[in-house]
Amino acid sequence: MLWKLLTSSMRKMWKDYIVLLFGLTVSIAIFYMFQTLAQNKSFLEANALITSIVFVFHVGTFILAMVTIFYIFYATSFILTLRQKELGMYMTLGAKKGKVTQMMFFETLLIGFISLIIGILAGIGLSQLTARMLMNQLNFSGEGFEAFYSSSLITTVIFYAILFMLTAFVNALKIASKSVLDLVRAPQQADPVMRKGWKIFAGTVISIILIGVGYYVMINMGTFLHFGVIAAAITITFGTYFFFMSLLPFIIRRLKSIRTLNDKGLNSFTFAQLQFRISQLTKVLGTVTMLVALGLGAMAASLSFYHNIEIQTSLMYANDVAVYQPTEEQLQEFKNWDFQEKNDYTYKVSDEGVYFLKDDLLNNPPFIQQFTGNMEELTRTVRVSDPLPLDEYSDTAETEERMISDDWATALRSELLATSRIFGDRTIYIVDETKFSAIDAEIETVTVGRLENFTEKSVALEKIDEHNQEVSLAYTGSIPDMTGSKYENYTSLKAIANGTIFMGLFLGIAFLMMMASVLMFKLLSSATADTSRYNMLRKIGVRRSKLSASIYKELFLIFLFPGLLGFVHVIVGMEMFSIILIEPYTKIWIPILLFLVIYLTYYLLTVQMYKRIVLPKKS
Amino acid sequence: MTKPVVHVDHVEKIFGRKSENSFKALDGVSFDIYPGEFVGIMGPSGAGKTTLLNVVSTLDQATSGKIEIAGRDITMMKQNELADFRSAELGFIFQDFNLLENLTIYENIALPLSLQGVASKNIRPLVHQVADKLGIKSILGKYPVAVSGGQKQRAAAARALVHEPAIILADEPTGALDSKNARSLMETMEHLNRHHSVSIMLVTHDPLSASYCERILFIQDGTIYKEIRRTEDQAAFHQQILNVLAEFSSLDQA
Ligand SMILES: Nc1ncnc2c1ncn2[C@@H]1O[C@H](COP(=O)(O)OP(=O)(O)O)[C@@H](O)[C@H]1O
Ligand SMILES: [Mg+2]
Repeated sequence: MLWKLLTSSMRKMWKDYIVLLFGLTVSIAIFYMFQTLAQNKSFLEANALITSIVFVFHVGTFILAMVTIFYIFYATSFILTLRQKELGMYMTLGAKKGKVTQMMFFETLLIGFISLIIGILAGIGLSQLTARMLMNQLNFSGEGFEAFYSSSLITTVIFYAILFMLTAFVNALKIASKSVLDLVRAPQQADPVMRKGWKIFAGTVISIILIGVGYYVMINMGTFLHFGVIAAAITITFGTYFFFMSLLPFIIRRLKSIRTLNDKGLNSFTFAQLQFRISQLTKVLGTVTMLVALGLGAMAASLSFYHNIEIQTSLMYANDVAVYQPTEEQLQEFKNWDFQEKNDYTYKVSDEGVYFLKDDLLNNPPFIQQFTGNMEELTRTVRVSDPLPLDEYSDTAETEERMISDDWATALRSELLATSRIFGDRTIYIVDETKFSAIDAEIETVTVGRLENFTEKSVALEKIDEHNQEVSLAYTGSIPDMTGSKYENYTSLKAIANGTIFMGLFLGIAFLMMMASVLMFKLLSSATADTSRYNMLRKIGVRRSKLSASIYKELFLIFLFPGLLGFVHVIVGMEMFSIILIEPYTKIWIPILLFLVIYLTYYLLTVQMYKRIVLPKKS
Repeated sequence: MTKPVVHVDHVEKIFGRKSENSFKALDGVSFDIYPGEFVGIMGPSGAGKTTLLNVVSTLDQATSGKIEIAGRDITMMKQNELADFRSAELGFIFQDFNLLENLTIYENIALPLSLQGVASKNIRPLVHQVADKLGIKSILGKYPVAVSGGQKQRAAAARALVHEPAIILADEPTGALDSKNARSLMETMEHLNRHHSVSIMLVTHDPLSASYCERILFIQDGTIYKEIRRTEDQAAFHQQILNVLAEFSSLDQA
């Protein structure tokens, strides 16, 4: 009988149960997804640039587990709020306390069990989807990664089974410890606690100071090093919580006190909702901010590794492409390319030597990357300017003055790619016109160019490498593994970095999804209590569209603040990496875009679900 | 002859699909309320009082029949028109106060004006004026949790009144009040009606509250069963109401 009553009222509150199931499922799916990577040690170690990657994932697991524990306890106590009034009613009708307590226990377990099954299935799907998507984007084979990873599965099941057992106990205990009257008088909505003015002021000051100190340390990471990382983590975390306890309520109170603004349309209601919400959500908003910062930070850091590869290779090469004996087709194609500069150099190849024509080199001296010897600017792009007064130079000359100078050697090696890879063990010469014409061999050319955009031509550059290898086959009788081109260097560095980037993005996405669902769940679980307010507004004649707009506005601001603050943390935090990366901010828009997409999706989803709960149906 | 502010003509309300479990809550109800009238709707529980009020207040749609308020046919209006109409022409007082507990009393009262886009500088005097009429000026800065039930109901009345609607619709406004506060609220409503010509339609099952009205429509099983008009003083009217109700119950037993 009681069970029948229970299931029937579960049907009545299905919207709340959907929110609850959704919240639990998302948490389980994300936790599992994270574990597929965190526990796959061989994959981590085989693919990471950083040796401490396993440690990073341990820390990640710890943070995620902490957030999850709080989240699950909160979410399951939500079952209690949904239920307690009703359970109390049954008790007034004569149901035994033991029976009711037992029901609460099993209901919590049952919900946990259902969400565990759905969650793990969703988790497998999610890992598969995320991994494939990232691997595709990164051109990363990701061998050894498995979306269905049994040890992660076991960990997830055990972790959640324990959590659900515990929460079921807690819920049952809470029911058992309350009198019938306590239960029937379901908890009234707490009135917004108005903090004292001076407290808010003090909190605001503390918040600004803590965040300021943290930022200062991060910007000057070079001087603080390890100590700095810890100090920044602590000050910024606490500063963030203070921000949501004091500074934000302060700002909203200010806004609300502007009469003309507050008296306009539904604004007074929207602000009041916001004020109420923020006073309820300080800890959640702080946590969400830190999770945003971690997730976005992980993505930005790993992607900046990626983009640094391009910069790194550009430190070694001034030109992007060198083609030996270019075909007619290639020359035609070049006409459409965006070259900053393009030069042709003629040469001849005999059995024992390669001869470059001095006049070509002097007429159009190539750019090279010259080492500066200082750490700020490792190399500098310069044009070779060493004079070549003699009639012949070589790399094996007996006298110093006939040796090819350093700059010219760099130009021949790195820019013209004239090395043993292409020419075997021939000696490299620079000779004047007279000597050049005396050599009995075909005149050939090599085209060297500096491109406007290197990465955009990657397909063509790969073909050119193959072409050069064929040229080498003709000269040496075998195909070399490499030609030493910029493109080769770029791709091999990228292959090493890809694993790290993959992990960073995976980690970042998991964190961002986790924080967004924490926020979403918190908002939706209090939505039912708001229904009567929206209903009243509808009665006194507020258009549905206005109610809807108020919801959009309110939730937007709630999503905005943690997003914005987390974002600023990351922007400042990336400055830390300037000690190991060349330009940490290159293409930072990519992780930002990813973040915005995830965040926006959650925002819109929350608004839609919230509207479904609080707004009356359209007739 | 003046036009009625509320004109209800053969209104029917059927709940549920037109299958076997449909239920006719209103069955051919017709009446008029003229400007400045204070009309009560009485009847036993389940008679259809709230249904009637909801239909008149555009919160619910009549199945058939015609309803005009302030000369406009509301049965033809669309969702948004109805919302605008409610916010401009109607004032509501409900049993459960229906103040927004996260807004101050001032903000609650100001809401209908804000919604109609009244400029901020004009809102303030209007709110103060109506709060003065209802004797709640001193609590304007407080939140609803911090004031008494009677004050809440006055605040609700102030909100219903502030934008000068064509009519105030009240559903059991004294239902959650003790007798002292109930009396005081009814006196206030009577005062508003007498001295400020506010038209009021009041649904109640409490004879004492009803005795403040000028005219009472009794409904039972969805039809108007009887109509009485106050001719003598309030005490006599109260007695008259009690008599009619007694008639009802004897009818029930028969
Ligand atoms: N939404 C609804 N669906 C079905 N029946 C309803 C609905 N609302 C009211 N009723 C029925 O209509 C009748 C009149 O209800 P109501 O107007 O609330 O009565 P009163 O306010 O006079 O006590 C009741 O029998 C009630 O059960
Ligand atoms: Mg009723």
